[in-house]
Amino acid sequence: MNDFSDLESQLKSLRPAPLRENFVARIEKAMIAPEADKDPENVIRPVQFQRRWIAGLSLAAAAAVLLLIRVNFKTPAGDKRVASVSPVPTIAAPLETTQRQAIPNTLIPSGATQVVYHKRDEGLLFAQNSDQPMRRMRSITRETLQWRNPSTGASLRVSYPSEQIELIPVSGQ
Amino acid sequence: MDNVVTHEDWKVCFSELGPGLVLFARQWVHSLADAEDIVQEAFVRFWKRNHSIESKGLLYAMVRTIALDVIRRDSRRARREAAAMSETEQSAQPQFQIEDESQQALAAALELLPKDQRQVLVMKIWNELTFAEIGQALGVSQNTAASRYRYGLAALRKTLPPQ
Repeated sequence: MNDFSDLESQLKSLRPAPLRENFVARIEKAMIAPEADKDPENVIRPVQFQRRWIAGLSLAAAAAVLLLIRVNFKTPAGDKRVASVSPVPTIAAPLETTQRQAIPNTLIPSGATQVVYHKRDEGLLFAQNSDQPMRRMRSITRETLQWRNPSTGASLRVSYPSEQIELIPVSGQ
Repeated sequence: MDNVVTHEDWKVCFSELGPGLVLFARQWVHSLADAEDIVQEAFVRFWKRNHSIESKGLLYAMVRTIALDVIRRDSRRARREAAAMSETEQSAQPQFQIEDESQQALAAALELLPKDQRQVLVMKIWNELTFAEIGQALGVSQNTAASRYRYGLAALRKTLPPQ
């Protein structure tokens, strides 16, 4: 086995270049700076995106409520009907007229769908001041609301995309 | 958790480790400015997370990780660095304080070593890490680190002119 002690001592006599003055000053400045500023760009802080998405979802919900208020869901007051055996009409009215009276001339909700067409696991992140990791799941959906006026056959359909982010706490084993 | 170390502690620590850390970082990026950026990021992160300074392997592992991230972040930079490393490797800013011709020859011979061996030599000689710590930092076994060290020294001896 070779003895490298002479070579090692030769190498040790070779000294690395000294640190530059401004480099130590930079380190000192970085030491003083709060660590929050040093977060990498790819880390999204939960509070920030929660605020943004809460605002977005609130707007979407408000728009949906406005649409629903605009449409009269109630059937006309005078058109209250109770399930009962109808008496045979004394005068046979023309069939078309009777049907028109029974069918309300208003938009009635006829369908609501929510299609989740993309769900993605965006990995783990740490919430601020928390040691517990959380898994972020992003769901992209399209919600469609539909109304129909049975009297006229007119229909109204509103469709809008929505995005939802869930933070699921992950517990260690 | 409060950082129990004082302002002066890190300065003392950094004055001891700094030159070796920069030398280590320069095994990945040849530019002194880039090496300083890497060391700054690693050291500040290491210190603020209250890691024990005894776990030197972790500090060097951080330097290595950040250096690799820097290289990956910019592929052009990686190509440039690779080109610079494959050339004669004479840097404008020397890595060592050269005092005489024998040291000049030693530094030049060191530059000719394969990168893996040179990294281990830098960590062992100028940073005084154990083979276990070197293994931890480089993600290799202790035995591999020791082998690279021996191969490095043997190659260096062959390269150097006989005295």
